[in-house]
This record gives sequence, structure tokens and C-alpha cells, in this order.
Amino acid sequence: MLADDMACNARNEYPAQVFNNENHKLNLYGDNVEVDYRGYEVTVENFLRVLTGRHENAVPRSKRLLSDEGSHILLYMTGHGGDEFLKFQDAEELQSHDLADAVKQMKEKRRFKELMIMVDTCQAATLFNQLQSPGVLAIGSSLKGENSYSHHLDSDIGVSVVDRFTYYTLAFFERLNIYDNASLNSLFRSYDPRLLMSTAYYRTDLYQPHLVEVPVTNFFGSVMETIHTNSAYKAFSSKISNSKSNPEMPLNQLSEHDANIPNDELKNEKQKCPYSQMRADLHKKLEKLENVDTVVNLSIAVMVVVVMVSSSLLR
Amino acid sequence: MEETSDRLNPGITPEFDPKTMRSTKPGLKRLFITTSVLFSFLLGVPFLWKSVEIYRSPLPFHDIDSLSDQIESTPLRFPCNFHAVFVGFPSTDPDNLRSQIQDGINQLTHQNSQCGSCNFSLSVTVQNRDDQCSETLAHSSTTCSYRCGVIKRNVFGVGVDDTVDESLNDVFSGCSEESGKVYSVVVVNKENANGGDEVKAVVGKRRHAWIVGNGLEERYGDMVARVSEIFVKVFMTGGRDEDSIQGEFMPVGSDGRIVLSFSLLNSNPRDWVYDWDFQRIDEALLAPVTKALAPIANISVESQVLYHTPKSSFSSWDKKLQSYIFRTSDLPFFVNSNEWHLDTSAGASGRSKILQFVVYIPSGKECPLLLQLPNGEISKTNGFISPMWGGVIVWNPGNCDKDSESPSRNTISPQDLEQIVEIFLGQFRQLFGFKSEAIYTSGLGTYKILPSERGFTEWELDVLSRKHTCFNLHSCSTTLGSLSRLVRSLPRMIIKDEIGEQVKYSLKAAKLAQSNASLGGYSSSASSSREARSLAENAFFHPSIMSVSYFSYEHCFAVYSPFFLPVAGHVVLAALREWRRYKQEKAKYLTWLTRKKTA
Repeated sequence: MLADDMACNARNEYPAQVFNNENHKLNLYGDNVEVDYRGYEVTVENFLRVLTGRHENAVPRSKRLLSDEGSHILLYMTGHGGDEFLKFQDAEELQSHDLADAVKQMKEKRRFKELMIMVDTCQAATLFNQLQSPGVLAIGSSLKGENSYSHHLDSDIGVSVVDRFTYYTLAFFERLNIYDNASLNSLFRSYDPRLLMSTAYYRTDLYQPHLVEVPVTNFFGSVMETIHTNSAYKAFSSKISNSKSNPEMPLNQLSEHDANIPNDELKNEKQKCPYSQMRADLHKKLEKLENVDTVVNLSIAVMVVVVMVSSSLLR
Repeated sequence: MEETSDRLNPGITPEFDPKTMRSTKPGLKRLFITTSVLFSFLLGVPFLWKSVEIYRSPLPFHDIDSLSDQIESTPLRFPCNFHAVFVGFPSTDPDNLRSQIQDGINQLTHQNSQCGSCNFSLSVTVQNRDDQCSETLAHSSTTCSYRCGVIKRNVFGVGVDDTVDESLNDVFSGCSEESGKVYSVVVVNKENANGGDEVKAVVGKRRHAWIVGNGLEERYGDMVARVSEIFVKVFMTGGRDEDSIQGEFMPVGSDGRIVLSFSLLNSNPRDWVYDWDFQRIDEALLAPVTKALAPIANISVESQVLYHTPKSSFSSWDKKLQSYIFRTSDLPFFVNSNEWHLDTSAGASGRSKILQFVVYIPSGKECPLLLQLPNGEISKTNGFISPMWGGVIVWNPGNCDKDSESPSRNTISPQDLEQIVEIFLGQFRQLFGFKSEAIYTSGLGTYKILPSERGFTEWELDVLSRKHTCFNLHSCSTTLGSLSRLVRSLPRMIIKDEIGEQVKYSLKAAKLAQSNASLGGYSSSASSSREARSLAENAFFHPSIMSVSYFSYEHCFAVYSPFFLPVAGHVVLAALREWRRYKQEKAKYLTWLTRKKTA
């Protein structure tokens, strides 16, 4: 959900690009980014609808949270915020009790197994004060009474490029490769209060597993749980091995059946509908023709002759 | 002086005190005016109340609570009938065998009554070498009586298993379902002296299994144990290991539909392009599977062919195997959700479950691509599943040499397509919690399971129906419970009629499912429980139930009080004041009257 889609902003000198650094090395808005809610669609109501799953029937699947009871969800929120609220669109606020209520309903309906909330605003840690559902891990960039700051200004674009908390999170992940088994604990320990200029506070009382044992790929990187398929289900080959006299595959056998059935249907149709039979015959005749062009030219000539004859008759 | 004062004030007695007495009766006009204004205000209060009233359709909270209690306390059990036939054994007491088998079954189920387990009734028939039978039946009147001598010992071991299965089906198919289906196990004791000591156990495609061996009359204990194992581990639980109702292997959407979305991924179409004749395999091979699972879910099938879909994990060249290898540790990263646009179904609604089945054709730089298991072997299927998501099969083109001029356009041959569909059927079974291979191994031996072209055998479909009934009813009751708690916690939330009706029908379907289950109709209870769950979910996820949109009583009070409180305050105060004044004046008048009387 992007309320201000900066990549598509008319004042952005580098259209469709959002960088994390003023050296413009890393384009965060790559080719495959898909934004589901942008602009005026980003409201507190839509946000809570996404979380709880209460959409109108016509809302497409790409705008829904299609999670089930085994899913791990990462919820990352950034913007302006304060004591127990987060600002939406300069006009509304998301209150911490609304968020807690939505998470409670999600848990009751088993829409997630583990949820991680990352908040990067001023006084971020107050936003998840009221959470009580188990299986939720939350980290905020600053405590109550503290502000969160942006990292640096990109004078080329004219705005601050990235916030400090987000910058150091991204830096942590850029250092990893696909086979590193980094734990969430190492991520959380990598935040230095002096560099962030605020205290990154996290809450683990609702989250049972120990952070040292939880890999970051639990929430980041869209990693799936996989089970190998040991063997195929030999429903068709057993038939083949048994019937030696009939070496055809079931597909071919069935294709014969299929060939038989339309003929029967055609015969029935002949009894029922001579018109379609006539069309089918015509179609077959046309297919047999080798040179279709001459037929077309001939028929055009015939049409012209008919038109001339009829117009002369009418005069 | 007294006279003058008397003459000056004729009707006033010397004790007249204007502060406590008055000579005229107090007027009622002022009181009337103020009380009429107050009365008109009071008359308007019901209209105001009615205008701020919100419509709440009455939900049957009591019924919802009783349903949840019922489902929590008494787990749902289905009636099943077990029938064991011993052929070729010398005349033994069938009652003894029956009690032994019953003990074996009880031991294996640990007497725990889980939801979906069987409330079984057991009957045993023994047919001796002269084709005479003695039997114990669980209940007297049954149409499933076994006609003695029908099963001949020479059928077994001679023909292939499929023909044996068909012949047994003819024997046992005469059963009509009164209370649950009948599962039969036939133990055949052959007297072939040349034959070895091996015991073969096969489970058929319908609802019967058979064990064939030599010299089995010496090994009754063994046979009883194997028979009980077939009844419990195979017929009752379907060869699945887990006991609990895990939602991880119930991939049915909350509206009771599943969409199977097949995608053929050409990783680099500049090397080669493959196409498939999907319609044929849909009509020929997938339609029976879809029809077989109709009571459990409404399944629809879609397919697409995608191009330029690289995978996001890496593979390495192995010289010994002359192919590119990827390992099971790469599997979680295989699906490239950035570039694989799989979920493009236009037909699936928001709450159906889409299962993605991907056939991945590697590019020329990684051909052939093989999956290596942790023990060093190469996978036979090159495929894996992700629970509740779907499955991936890596299919290597037969010839990995690239045609350098132009990419070759090929169609996957029907034989290869059939193999792919077989792997897909294995993956589909895995997604439902069964094993993809058709064999069950236990401490006592292995049981060969005959594969059915519908993807699931009849007894596996029974297991699925029972498990899904349990899961759906449980989900329905928790959803309705959450809904009732939510509705009760927001007293000013509008509850539309639609929601009330859906709750009512959901409760009705749940009751129907429970009664069907007790009568033994597995598939009918599965479909009514599916309906119950989908109606409950529709009611719960109705878009009008958003707590943000509704305000509390305090808010309503805060909105209306600035309009009415100040004016109402004044009116009430005025009426009270007038009333008090009237009472005071009345009292004054009365004292004057009494004074006049006494004077």
C-alpha cells in the first residue's frame, strides 16, 4: 500500500525508480514490484479490510491477503506517527487498539501462524502496545518520546531518500546471500542506537520461539515450505503393464473413444438438425479444396456480375 | 385607630402575611404552559430513539453456543462395518477370532475416540477347506451376508492383482449401505507345499483387501494382527500418519471450491518452446479425479503456458551424472514469485483455494536439471510440493541440444504427458495428506495398494470425507462462535438480514451433516458440512462487519447531546420551577383559607 507512490510522482526526476542511497546504485522499485493499493485507496478502512479479509465480493484476488493458518506474514509500516497512532494520508489515523483488534480477529480466524510487524515512525513502539494475540513479533524504530530520523538527503531528487531504521535493515539484508542462515536475533542486534539516533525496541512476549533459532527467511524472502514427492501415482502405467494385448496408452484409447463419440453426436445431430450437418459438409468440402484463392476470386467475380445484372434490371 | 385601620383594609386580617398567604387561588396557566412544552419534548423522545436505532438482525446465539459445545464435547464418530473372511482354514471358532481381532483393533486405536474415527461393528466368517462356513455376525439383519463358497482359493496368486480385485468386487458389491460402508479383509490360506513362506497383502481399489499365504493356520496371532492393522491403519485412517485434524492438508477453500491451475513454464523460450495438449488430459485423465472428489470440494481446472520464467535458485554441474543438480536445500527458493505470474485466475473468487501445479522446463544452460536428495540419490519424480500452495515438476526435454538457429517449437508427447499427470496425481494426493506412492509399510510388513485411475481409491475417499466433515464442522462452529462474540461486543453495529439468514442456514446444514454422519453417509455428510462451513464463512466475512465504521454508545450520546441537552435542561428546569412555585402558592392559599376559617 503506497499512499504516495513516489516512483510515479510527476516531480520525480528518475521516473519509476526509488533509490535507497544518494549514489543511486540500488533501485528498490524494480521491474517486478507490484503495488496493490496506491493513492486514495490507502485508507485505514482498506488496511483493516485487508488484514481481516472482509472485502466486497468484487475485490480481485491480487488485492486480498490470501493467507491461511500456516502462513507467516510480514507487516511493515512507515510514515508519520506518534503516541499510539500512525498517520494515514494526512487525514486519518490508525490507532493502536484498532490494529490490535484486527490482529485479534485474524488470529481467531486463523489467518496466520506467525506475524511480524515492523514500524518505522516516530514513537513507533507505542503502536503495538495493545497487542495481545499469540504468535506476533513486533519491532519499532523508536520508543515513546523519541523521534525517528531520516538517513540522508538526496539533493539531486530533493527529498530525504530513506529513513535510518529502514536503511540499516536494508543494509543487513544486502550483506546476506541465499545460503546464509542468519537469525532474527542477529537482525535485531544489528541496530545500533547511536547510528539510528533512536532506540529500536522489539517485543517478543507474544512470540514463543527463541529469536536465535528463527531464521530471517521465516518472514523475509518469500521462502516456501517444501516436501519432496517420492514417487508418481502409477494409475495408468499399471494398466499398460497388465494388458499386453492392448499396448495403446489410455490417452490414445480414449482418443479413439473421443473420436467415436463426436461421430455419434454428429449422427444424432443429423437427425436433429440438418442445417449444421449441411454446414459441416460445406466445411469439409472447403477444406478439401487446394487452391482457395481461385475460389475466392471466382466468387468475387460472380458477385460483381450479379450486382451489375440486378442493377441493370432495376433501372 | 383600630377602626381606621380596619376601614382602610377591609378584608385583611391583622395576621395576613403576604409571604406566607395569598387570597386568590393560584393560576394554572404558567404551569400548564411549561408542562405542555415539557410534555411535547417527552413525546418526541420515542421518535428520536427510533431514528437512532440501528437494525440488528437477531442471531440465534443460543443455538450457536450449543453447537460449539456439542462439537467440542462429543467428537463425531462414523459407523463402519468390518468384515473378516478366513478362507481355507480348518474349522475354528469364529467367535474366538472375532474377539481377538476386536482386541487388536482396540489396542491400535488406544480407545481414543477422535473426530472422524469409526464406531465399528465387526463380523467374522470362516470358510474351511470343504467350503463350509461358520460365522459370527455383528447384527442379525444384514443384506451383506457372505454366500459361502463364493471365494475360491485358486483365484488368488494366479491372476494379477487387478483381476483378483475385480472378482472380489463382484463378491462384496452386493452390500447396500444401511449404516456405514462395509470394509472386508479376506485371509486366504493356500496349501501349496511348494510355495514359499511369504505372505502377500494387497489392498484393493474398492473397500476390500486380501492376504494370501501358505501355512497360515499356524500363525493365527500374526494374521489377527495384520487384519487389525488393515482395519485400523489402512481403512480407518487411510495410511496417513498424523492423527489430528491438521489444517495444513485440507486445501479446500472456504467457499468449498478448489481451482487447479496448471502452468507450463518455458524458462527460456529462446532455447526451445514447449506446448501441451491440455484439453485432452483434462477430459481423459483429470475429469474422473474431479468427479470423485465432488462431495469434498467443487473442483475446476485451468491451464496456461508462460514464457520467460527463470527460477531463482541455483544449480551446479555434476560431471559424474552429466547433468545439472539442485538439492533439497534449494527447494524453498525454487519458486520465483517475482517472475512467475501464476495466480492470474479470472474464474476463482476471493475465497476459493487455488492450487498451482507447475511444469518447469529448464533453459538450455541448465539442461538436464535433476534433483538430488540428501542421501545422494536422484529423485525419481523431479518434483516437490508446498502444502496449501501446490506442486512443481521439473521436466527435462528429451534432447538437450539446442538448435542454434531458431528455437524449436515442440509439443509434449502423450506418453510424457501421462507420466507428468501421474506425478501430478502423486502430488495431489500429498496435498491431501496421503502418500504419493501406493504402498503402506508397517512393522508387520508391507501392504501393496492398488492405484485407481481416479487418483483415490474408494476407501481413501471415505477417509477424506470423514476427515473433511470433522474439519468443516469444527471450522464452522468456531467461525460462528467468533461471529457471535464479535456481534455481542459491538452493540451498535448493524447486522444485515443476509448475515442472519446465512447463520441460520449454516446451523441447519451443520445439523444435517451431524445426522448424516450418524447414519453413515460419508459423502453426504461431507457435502453438507462443506456447505455449513461456507455459509458460516460468508456470514463472518461479510464486508459490512467492520468495527471502524460503527461507534459506541458514548459517541452517539456525544453527537446528540449538544443539540438537545441545553434546551431540554432549560425546559425541565422551568417546569420544575413552575411546579415548585405552584405548590408554594397553593400552600399559601391554603394557610389563608384555614386562617380565615379560624378567624
